[in-house]
Order: sequence, then C-alpha cells, then structure tokens
Amino acid sequence: MKKLKDKIEDLFDNVIINDFYQNRIFVKTNKESVVSLLNYLKELGYDHLALVSCVDHVEENEFELVYILSAYIHNEHENQEKTNIIIKTRISREKAKFTSIINLFENAEPYEREIFELFGVDFVGHPRLKPLFLEINYETPPFRKDFDTRKFVDDFFANIPIIEEIEDEK
Amino acid sequence: MDRNQIGKWLRSPQKMSNKYSLHAVYFCTGCGIIEIPPSITTRWDAERFGIIPAPNPRQANLFLITGYVSLKTLKAIIRTYEQMLEPKYTVGFGSCPINGGMYWDSYNTIKKLDKYIPIDGWIAGCMPRPEAIFVAVTHLWTLIEKDMATGYIKYRKNYKQYRANQEKIYGSLDWPPLYK
Repeated sequence: MKKLKDKIEDLFDNVIINDFYQNRIFVKTNKESVVSLLNYLKELGYDHLALVSCVDHVEENEFELVYILSAYIHNEHENQEKTNIIIKTRISREKAKFTSIINLFENAEPYEREIFELFGVDFVGHPRLKPLFLEINYETPPFRKDFDTRKFVDDFFANIPIIEEIEDEK
Repeated sequence: MDRNQIGKWLRSPQKMSNKYSLHAVYFCTGCGIIEIPPSITTRWDAERFGIIPAPNPRQANLFLITGYVSLKTLKAIIRTYEQMLEPKYTVGFGSCPINGGMYWDSYNTIKKLDKYIPIDGWIAGCMPRPEAIFVAVTHLWTLIEKDMATGYIKYRKNYKQYRANQEKIYGSLDWPPLYK
C-alpha cells in the first residue's frame, strides 16, 4: 500500500511534505491547491478539522494560514495512517484574502471569524463575517505584528481622565 | 452577640447590620475567582465574617472584582454594579484592576478600574491569599463604621464623569443613564 505522503505527492504539484516527526505530517503548498487538498484528505477519512490558525510573517509581508486535520476513527482496513496533517499556505499581507472552507468543514466558521477579526484576513464565501470577540474597533487588527500595543495603550487608556470629586457646597 | 458592641447596635443598627451581612455577588472575572471557592467553603469559611455569595446582584451589596478586566467584562461589571442595591461596596482584588498588572500593555484590558466605577478598597497581590480577603473585609468594616466606604454616593454624585469615561471606551452604551 502507498503511504499517505506518496499519495499526496502523486496527485498534487507544488507540495513540500515533511514527515520528520512521528504522527505528524507537514504539507506546505500554494494557496490555489489548499481547498482541493483538504477535499481530497476529507475523502480519505481525515474528517476532523482541529484548528485553523494564522501566523504573521511581517518581514516577508505574508500571512501563513495553518489547517490541522486528523481522523475521528482510525480505519485500519484501508491502511489509513494514524497521523495529524498540518497544511500550511502563504497569502499576501496586503488586502489579505482567502477562500472560506465552510462548505467543506462547517466548524471552520468561528476560526475564520476570529482570524478575520484579529488579523484582518477576508474570507470569501463566509456567511457571517463579523466581529466575534472584540468590543471596540481597532485601526489595525490587534494580532498583526505591526500593531503597536504600547502606543495604543498610551493613546487610548491613558487619555481617559481620572474622576475628580465634586466638593460639597457649604 | 458581643456585649461590648451593644452600644453600637443601639446607636446605629443599620450600619451594624450592613457591616455584618455582606452579600457578595458571585461574579467571576479573571484568575482571582479561583480563590473564592475555598474562601466561602469550609477551609476558610467566609461566613464567620458574615460574607455569603448572593445568587444575583439585586440581593448583594459586596462586589469583589477578582482579576483583570477586559473591555467585554467591564460592560458586564458596570451593568452588575448599577443593578446592586445601596449601600454597595466594591473591592478590587489583585493587582490587575489597580493598574493593569501584568496586562499593563494589553490592547484589550482596562488599566485603572476606578476610572469607570468607584472602588472602596484594594487588595494588592498576584494572587492574594484568601486570608487577604478577610483582612480587606475587616478594613471594610472599619470604613463602614466611620462612614468612609462611600463609593456608591460618589458614583451618584459624579455620575456624569463616570458615564463619560464609560462612553469614551465604547462610543455609546446601549442602556440609559442610571442617574440624571
């Protein structure tokens, strides 16, 4: 039987696979083939999307989106490997945009909303892309590396005046 | 009853009963709430000091703010505080409500809580031990006895300033002002 690594390499170009660690496969790919790769892996039985995350590479002006997949049930008859699959892809940081994968994995919804709110990545095809956690609007999304928290604290919280007590009229 | 205190009871029964029946709102924020279950149950037994957790803010008069206050929690804190009946006392618990603590440069955490609601006393430390709660409570007794725990009167008097500060954070609040 073919190993999972070879199966993916046969079907997809532009993938770099690293299976150095036990029970873990890192797949680096370009942004066009992420959705088809996720679709393929879901059909293979890796039907649990554990996480969608985002990493800000500010020097390279790129965001890295991370998808972690695993299988709920380990199917030994079909020689399915018991492993976590970590899919990484890079997107541009300017006007960051990516395809939503809600049609494939429904539980991606809160993750994508979170990334939209904290990193400012626009997910095309997401039905409810609106703020999830934050109460106020920030000019730069706060998890971006170029968001200066200390400057924000000085501008925003330090400018709120201390309560001055009104003295009683005698 | 302590015989020495009979005079005090006769002079100001209301003050004495406020003092010995502090009902704390069971409001959890931040990590300090982990100190509350041991202090209200058998290990430290807060009922010795007349403190008992109240199920809702309308039956409570002690508000322990037990940790960092994020912008979302502040909204809930203001609403809870405004629902409590007078006289009401607030105690900031831990170093985060005092000046932000370890979240001093966080984008989403309030730095000085007494800009938004009045605080009668602070407990410093990260984390304060349950004993520190009782030290604070005995201090609060003294303050109540000497008419110094007047946070709720301050709130009523300077409500415009408090409301302005609250609105500065959120832009607009979705409930009407408590006082005119």
